[in-house]
Amino acid sequence: MLSLFRSNRPPSEAAAEASDLDVTPVMNLFIILIPFLVSMAVFTHLSIVEFSLPPDLGAGKNDSSAKPVPKLTVRIGRDFLAVVLGERMLDSLAVTTEFPFDTLLLRLKYRVQELSYSDEVIVASRDNIPFKHVVRVMDLCREAGLKKVGLSSATADPGAGL
Amino acid sequence: MKSILPPQAAPPSDGTFKPQLTSLVDVMTILLVFLIKSFSTEGSLITAASDLVLPVSNSQESPRVRSSIEITRKSVITDGHVLISTDSLRMADSLLVPGVYEWMKAARERNNDQSSGELVIQCDREIEFAVVKKVMYTCSKAGFSDFLVLVTREE
Repeated sequence: MLSLFRSNRPPSEAAAEASDLDVTPVMNLFIILIPFLVSMAVFTHLSIVEFSLPPDLGAGKNDSSAKPVPKLTVRIGRDFLAVVLGERMLDSLAVTTEFPFDTLLLRLKYRVQELSYSDEVIVASRDNIPFKHVVRVMDLCREAGLKKVGLSSATADPGAGL
Repeated sequence: MKSILPPQAAPPSDGTFKPQLTSLVDVMTILLVFLIKSFSTEGSLITAASDLVLPVSNSQESPRVRSSIEITRKSVITDGHVLISTDSLRMADSLLVPGVYEWMKAARERNNDQSSGELVIQCDREIEFAVVKKVMYTCSKAGFSDFLVLVTREE
């Protein structure tokens, strides 16, 4: 009687030889493709961050006739992060073991909404701050919706004017 | 006498040796998928200097080919020329650094028609802001008005 189920017997040697695929052309293709792709691969993606300079730097940037408008400023110090509008301190965050960047982002978003602020934000850093933190704060400002970022130097006092 | 070794496969009748390529094909396939994923038709317009680690940013803006200055942990370099050591720059009293100023002024005049005063700053992530400030101030006095910072894009 013929069985409806497939036989569990191993295939014969002749059948195994017949089903053995010849992968040599595929290997040849890989050997051509892989060096080509390695030469065109980009393993680190680079970007640029644009920022403006303080008005006393750069030719033609100083417009002394214009009335000064209080600007939102983020100050970075070794032991503080502060959000200041003109001379008015809005938020001050203490730095403990690491910089409270998440809290700063929340505060910035809140202040941008509260003040309906869409002008330039100034990132003012103390001299001893590693540059990576300055770039991180510039990122946070953009995340908070402030597209135009300026860079400046901060004084020792978090609440002092620039 | 019966051998304890496993029986060897009989050589093919035509005398050719067929290596088992399946595992090699598997490796090649994985490699191919990875390389296709990191394939870029644009290539990289700017190559970061080898002895600095760029800061990480979520900026998506593509780099532009402009005059550039590199601030590594050891020295400040432009066009392969070492302008000043970073330690000397750190200890300089003035914001304007004469050695850097003269070279950058000449570079600005040389490339006056090619770029609109833009300068790409490649700075190591651990360099203090004071050093970057001196370089930016000096370069702005040399005629560069717009600054771009090269960063590693956050994935």
